[in-house]
This record gives sequence, structure tokens and C-alpha cells, in this order.
Amino acid sequence: MLHSVFTKAVRDRLVATLVAAVSVGALTVFSMVVYRDVDVSLYQNLPPALRELMGIPDAAGVAALAYGAMYDFIGVLVFAGLAISMGASAVAGEEQDGTMGLLLSNPVSRRGIVISKSMAMVALIGLGALLLWALGVLAPRWSGVSVEGLDPGAMTLALGVNALVYGFLALAIGAATGNRGAASGVAITVMIVGYLAESLLPLTENLGWVAEIFPWHYYNSSRPLINGIDWGQLAVLIGIVVVSFVGALVGVAARDLKEKSVGVTLADRLRANRRTRKIMERIAGGARVSRISVKTMSDFQGLLVVTGMVVFYLGLIVGPLYGFVPQDLVDFFAQLPDVLIAMVGGANMATPEGFYQAEMFSITGPVAVIVLTASMGAKAIAGEEENGTMGLLLSNPVTRGHVISEKTVAMTIHALTLGVAMFLGCWLGARLGRLDISAGGLAAASTQLALLGLVFGGLALAVGAATGRPRFASTLTAAAAVVAYFVWTFLPLSERLEPWAVLSPFHFYLGGDPLRNGLVWDHIAVLAAMFLTLALVSVPLFSRRDLRG
Amino acid sequence: MDAILTERLTKHYGEVQALVDLDLQVGMGEVFGFLGPNGAGKTTMIRTILDLVHPTSGRATVVGLDSHADAVEIRRHIGYLPSDLSMYPNLTGRDMITYFANLRGGVDKSYVDDLANRLQADLGRKVGDLSSGNRQKVGIILAFMSRPEVLIMDEPSTGLDPLMQREFQAMMREVAADGRTVFLSSHTLSEVQRVADRVGIIRRGHLVDVESVEDLRSKALRTVELHFDGPVEASVFEAVPGARDVQVSNQHVTLSFDGQMGTLLRAATQHYTLLDIHTQEADLEEIFLQYYRTE
Repeated sequence: MLHSVFTKAVRDRLVATLVAAVSVGALTVFSMVVYRDVDVSLYQNLPPALRELMGIPDAAGVAALAYGAMYDFIGVLVFAGLAISMGASAVAGEEQDGTMGLLLSNPVSRRGIVISKSMAMVALIGLGALLLWALGVLAPRWSGVSVEGLDPGAMTLALGVNALVYGFLALAIGAATGNRGAASGVAITVMIVGYLAESLLPLTENLGWVAEIFPWHYYNSSRPLINGIDWGQLAVLIGIVVVSFVGALVGVAARDLKEKSVGVTLADRLRANRRTRKIMERIAGGARVSRISVKTMSDFQGLLVVTGMVVFYLGLIVGPLYGFVPQDLVDFFAQLPDVLIAMVGGANMATPEGFYQAEMFSITGPVAVIVLTASMGAKAIAGEEENGTMGLLLSNPVTRGHVISEKTVAMTIHALTLGVAMFLGCWLGARLGRLDISAGGLAAASTQLALLGLVFGGLALAVGAATGRPRFASTLTAAAAVVAYFVWTFLPLSERLEPWAVLSPFHFYLGGDPLRNGLVWDHIAVLAAMFLTLALVSVPLFSRRDLRG
Repeated sequence: MDAILTERLTKHYGEVQALVDLDLQVGMGEVFGFLGPNGAGKTTMIRTILDLVHPTSGRATVVGLDSHADAVEIRRHIGYLPSDLSMYPNLTGRDMITYFANLRGGVDKSYVDDLANRLQADLGRKVGDLSSGNRQKVGIILAFMSRPEVLIMDEPSTGLDPLMQREFQAMMREVAADGRTVFLSSHTLSEVQRVADRVGIIRRGHLVDVESVEDLRSKALRTVELHFDGPVEASVFEAVPGARDVQVSNQHVTLSFDGQMGTLLRAATQHYTLLDIHTQEADLEEIFLQYYRTE
């Protein structure tokens, strides 16, 4: 192992790992405190299939609920995401940044680099999981709730190994191809599809086995928090890690390394082709750079296509899937009082609206739109500063306010386009599943989804404009979104804290139940006002400070 | 009207004094060389007059317009090539030019083609795939393309091959001949010497001297080589006022000299038989080193 490569790789992500572990741990304490006020017996009365869907363990105590929401949902996604970013940048990232050649001008081997970076990933994820475990043990003591019959150690071990599966998958693909985008894209897709398969398919009567294809099944299906470690399933995960690691060693040694590069897109190929050159020059060339807003939209069209496809296709399959929901679950929900349904996020499975809300609008939609808008917002000002292009841009006769307004227009158009994709997918899915759900309600919820995204995009823009630090802006925005989500879903569970839920933008997104009621105009006005305020304050925040770099 | 005028321009970054009471006047129709070692404040000065950073105190004008209040108007009159040029890697050179031409307006396409031909720039490839020299050519075209009244160039020759450097220097002289101004911050002293009319020298944020290149050179030490018919003593030459760094190698003497040539010749011929003499005016590099050797 190469000591300095290992040390640098650890140092690069140490802060991110610590922040991730401490935030998840802190949110766990927070949710335990909130849950303490709640009579959780209602969860124990839910049918098993629904508890499965909501990730509520059978022995639904306060601690189990909090662990389920924080560790099994947020924590596991955060740690897998962290591992993927380490894995994808380990080899492919150094190649695309042009630093691999410099590294290999020293007496080190390619395999040595892969081994050192792999060890760094294992060390960091291990450290993070250890911290999570420690906080997971301390959280119930601090909040005074019982953890009888729960095994946080088994859960964090499974969580760490699960993260390494996706990290090593990204490492192997990156090492074999030199393409960082492909490495993280494939790993994230395998993870998300596996997660959705594991949470959706077991609900159906005869498609449950499909979930076993995906690694996620071997993390979650044995419920390590309740049942302890299932060594057989853990062995499967470790097996995937080992195979990926060997794949990375073979892959990196077998091919020519790439120089620093920007990658070739389909548009580039069409532009280079004699027959399509003329038309493509107009579309991909002249038009794309006609103004700042259009160029910004073009820069993020890849992300828009990916997030748009995700919500479109998921919306499409959720409709027909409703037909597979067991009848007894539907019947059960039909008898639940409204107040109880509100407490489980409006997921009244007795109605197609409730099903769509649970599957599409409560998590998937917000994640997709916030990923899009937060990265557009964070990079709008701060990204150009970090890349060193802002000075060049501002040497032209444009004000800083004009740059912000153009980038805001681009973000608005993209968020609304994603809303349209969400609407079309859900609407077509509802048709396919022959569900009685109003197009107006879907359109209203999709519109308010776009506005929710713009609020967080506006936050990222303002933080980026104030600091010039894109990663700080996107991290802070992601943290704000997670807190806002939990404020909206958790605080209503406690009578004392319930009034505070209006502090969350999520309250103005789904709180008025747009799927059933159509556009909720006062909520739309609040979301729009938040977004415009954030965009407007970005102008003085940016104008009054020195450009970075 | 001055192309660039600064009055007690000062910029502090916390404890660091990047610029201190900088008074500078650059006229229209000249190439002004701006010299200084790394970290002397050259780029800070440029970023301040472009309103990319705000001065702590003092003010600057460009073509008579205030650098902060009229920042946008100023940008219509300038072309800027940043040091350590960054561009959008996924755009081609032509896309870059179109983008900035759209923001600027009034860019003559045939002039862009002329510039690209002169610099032999490849505008069809993505700038992220270009070598640093070829990327620099795109940056030079971006700065020149609107025929701005003031061109601000921060280390412009980085990565250019010697032939291209010549071409680029000719382009700068043409700008000045056209009555426009070039503000050239550079480490390539031979280039500054070749194209600049005047130079300003900055050290630790202070402007220490502004002179014409000719005056600077005539004031500076020149190198004198003397050749005699037999061995000579160094002490004879060290005693001459204005002589420094005397080096004697048998019948040859080499020294730096800023005194009166008659005194030196008298000393040389009084004791020995002088066979040959060769004098060389100091170039900018030596002057530059003299300024900074004292640091």
C-alpha cells in the first residue's frame, strides 16, 4: 500500500464522512425526542405489509422508529452516496482531472494506487459506521428511550458493508473505463433501483422475488436492527465487494490511461458528422450559447434528462403497480380515521391519490427536483467562481445581478420541465393502471413540486452567491432539505410541536393536499415568495463581495 | 483622457496589503508594461480596476469611467485576458467566441476570422481538449475581438510558441498604433522590452517606478568587457567610480558600469595597453533583477 496516496484519499473525504455521521446521529437524537411525545401503539396496529413499506420494524418502539427513519433510510443513502463518490473519483476522477499522469510519474504502480484508495474507502466508511454506531448507542440514553430488543451494532455494520458495495462497484467501473460519470451513474442506478425494488415489489403478490436480484435485498431484507446480523446475507455483500475490487485491479492494469478530457457527447458526434453538421451547429452551437440562461440550461440538460426520466418512468410504473397492492391493505386504509392517515404522510393506500403521494410525491419527487435545483443553484455563481470563469464572464458588459437573473430563469425553466415530466409520467401511469385520479390534481402537485425545488434551489443560489463555495452551498441545502422534510413529517406527530411544522417548505408543498384539492393558491404564493426572496437577496450578497480566485 | 488612472488605490486582504496607495496613469495609444515578481499585486490591481474585487480605499477610472459605479460601461470598452485562463471545457473555441460576442454585441465576425488565421487557432475543438497554448489563443481572440479601447492582458504569452509570441507582439503594437491601449502584465521581460513604451514596476503592493523603457535602460548598469595585451589587476578597475562586479580572467576584464566612460577608459589605458572594448546596454531582465535583488 502507498502510504501517501492512502493518507491523501482519507484526508480528501474525512470532513464529509464526519459531517455525514454526525448529522445522521444528530437527526436520530432529534427524532427520538419527537417520537417520545407520541403514542406509537398506532404503528403496532398497522398491517405488516404497510409497516414493511414504511420501514417500521415489527417491534415498533420509539427507538426502532427513529433508527428506521434515520439509519435505514437517510443514513444508508448518505453513506452509499459517499462511498460512490470516493469510488468513482479514485481512478476515473484522477484521470479526468489530469492528475493520474502526475501520480504515475512517481515510482508507484496502478495496482498500488487502486489498493491504497480502496483501503482509504474502507477506513473512512468504517470510521463513519463506527461513529454512527456510537451515536446510535448514545442517542437513546440522551433522549431517555428504551432500545430493548434492538441491535444498532448489527445495523451499522450492515449499513457500512452495504455502502462499500456501491463504492467498490463505482471503483471497478471507473478503473475499467476511466469514466467518472459512468462509474457513479451506474452505481447510483443499481442502488436506487434496488432500493425501490426492495420497498415496492414485496408489496405485490407475486413479484417479490425480483428484488433478490439487487444487492439492496441482502442489506435490508433480514432486518439486522431487529434480528441481528444475518451472516449469509452479509457474506453476499462482502462477496460483491471482493469481486468488484478484483475487477478494479484487473481493469486498471489492462487499458491505456486517458488524458485530461471533457468527454464526447452524442451532440458532439452529430456535430462532427458531415451530414448533420449544419443543423447541429445551430442547435448545439450557436443557439446553445445565445445567452447566459440558455447556456446554463444546456449545461444542466444532462441532469434534467436523468432526473426527468427517473420521475417519468417511476410515475409510469406506479400506476399499474397499484393493482398489485393486496386488497386487505386497501380495506384497512379505508377504515382508518383521517387524522391517523395524516400522521403517516397522507399515504392513504385506499385511494390512488394516497398511493401516488406515498410512492411519488412524498420522497421521489422532492429528491429528484432538489438534486436538480440545488446543483443548479450552487453552481450558478459559486461554480463559475470555482472554475475560474466568472472573471472572464464579468469582463463583459453585464452586471452581477443580470448573471443571477439569467441563471434563475434557467433554474425555473428546468424545475418546471421536471414538473411536467412528473405530471406526464404519473398521468400516463394512472391511465395504464385505470386509476381514477384527476389530471388537475396531478398537475397541481407537480407544479407545487417544481416550486418546492425552486425554494431549495434559491437557497443554494443565495449561499453560493454569499460564499462562492459550491460544495458548501449544495451540502447546506441538502441538510436544510432533510431537516425541512423531518420537520414536516415528524413535528405533527407531537401535539406540542405540531404548530412548528409550518416552518417547513414541505408544509406548503403537500400540506394543502394538492393531489385532491388542486392548486392551493396561498401555499403557491408562499413558495413563490420564498424563492423570489432568496433569488433577490442573492444579488446584494454577490455584488458586495470580492470575487474568489 | 487617460486609459487607466488610479488614485491612492489600496486593497487589503485581512492583514495582507496587496496594493498600497497606488497612483498610476496610463495614456491612450501606448503599450504599458506592468512588472513585478509573483505576489507583488499585479493581478490584484487588474481585478480591482475590473470591479472583480472592491478597493479598500482609493479609486480607479478606465477611459474616464469610475471602476465601481460604471463597471458595466467600462466593460464595453475593454478586452481582458486573465492569467491562468479558465474557460468552459465543453464548449468549442467558436462557441466560446459566440457566447461572449452575444453578451458584448457588435463583434465583427470577419475580424474574428482574421485573428484566428493570424494565431492559427483551432476553433472547432472543445477548449477542454486543447493544449494550453491553443487555449491561450482562444483567450487572446476573446480579448481582441471587439476592438476594445483598452486591452488588459495578464500574462498573455503563457504557452505560446516563439513564432506565435512574435505575431502576438505585432498585434499589440498594432493596437497602440491604432490609438488604443494595451496594459500588459508580464514576466516575459524580453516581450515587454520589445513592445512596451513605458513600464511600471510594482513591489509588495507599492508602485516603485514608472519610466519609459529607453530611460530605464539608459540609466541602468551596462556591461563592459575589456581586453588587454597582458595580465591585469582587479583593484585598478574596482577603484573606478560606478564600476561593480569586477571579474578578471588573465587579460580579460568584465564589469557592470553606470559611471562616466571617460574615467573608466583613462584608468584602463593609464596602466595597460587596451586592445579591445565591448559594451552592452542592460536589458530589462537585468534591470528587473537589480530592483528586486535588494529584497
